[in-house]
Amino acid sequence: MDTRIGFRLSHRKWILAAIGLPILVSAWWAFRPEKLWINQKVNDPAPFVSSTDPQPLYTGRLEGKAHQTSGRATIYRTSDGGQTLRLTDFTTSNGPDVHVVLVQADDANLTKEIVTDQLDRVELGQLKGNQGDQNYDLPAFIDLQKYNAAVIYCEWFHAIFGVARLEKF
Amino acid sequence: MVRNIKTALALVALTFTFALQESVYAQDSMKHEDKTKRIETGSFHGKVHKTSGRATVYQEADGKLVLRLTNLKTSNGPDVHVILIAAKDAEDDANFLKSSTERVELGTLKGNEGDQNYEIPSDTDLSKFQTVSIYCERFNANFGAAPLEKF
Repeated sequence: MDTRIGFRLSHRKWILAAIGLPILVSAWWAFRPEKLWINQKVNDPAPFVSSTDPQPLYTGRLEGKAHQTSGRATIYRTSDGGQTLRLTDFTTSNGPDVHVVLVQADDANLTKEIVTDQLDRVELGQLKGNQGDQNYDLPAFIDLQKYNAAVIYCEWFHAIFGVARLEKF
Repeated sequence: MVRNIKTALALVALTFTFALQESVYAQDSMKHEDKTKRIETGSFHGKVHKTSGRATVYQEADGKLVLRLTNLKTSNGPDVHVILIAAKDAEDDANFLKSSTERVELGTLKGNEGDQNYEIPSDTDLSKFQTVSIYCERFNANFGAAPLEKF
């Protein structure tokens, strides 16, 4: 009697195992849950760009504010250790006394077209042209974590022509 | 009265400054060896899984296109691929890709972290395939997407 019950129990266990194991294995195969804890880090080199070429550090697209403005602003580190802001693919309106400045991306003034109070900015120079590719040297000791937006700014009318929020390249 | 005159003067000044200035075209160059160019870039935002990093398309001197992912951080998972999708707006880079979404396969994701390169087939139309997706084929899940814009 006892042995028969024992036999039936283990028989049931066998059936359970026969059904359950494939289910477990296929569930594991589908979800590979262990991968949640395993990171696979890759480090492909960039062999196609020479190390003496300027390296992009930050980049962002320009959005128009007071005037239609478009293009890309990129901060490069040059081989001599300096930093340069480069505008490419760039178009804005021409205007009087227009400058390229760096400001803090979270500055409330950037939500407006015309700045009413003081704009905390780092001057990079007068806008060389309202179209075309152009470079502006950055001052040596500038905190790019803080001044992380490039702005085309008309000093005369306190007008923000365009803003590029810079993200890590 | 004084204020009116001032306004009028300002308007005249404005008209002159804008009327007299033509477009000024600047053309600075950057010291590049002109072998390889970055042509497009964009940063990742996570969809199904938290994903961050940057995707950049390089064009080599012989015209070959390479997609380079830098500072990538995404979730590890089964059967994850890097693909380009024909998407322009947010709707198309949803959490799960529609079967109608056209795609270009670039290869199995080499790792869920770090810098990595993928070759782009030479006949790929980048004006059509504008978004990079880290895509789990098994679950049709879009781990993260990076819309590419002109560099």
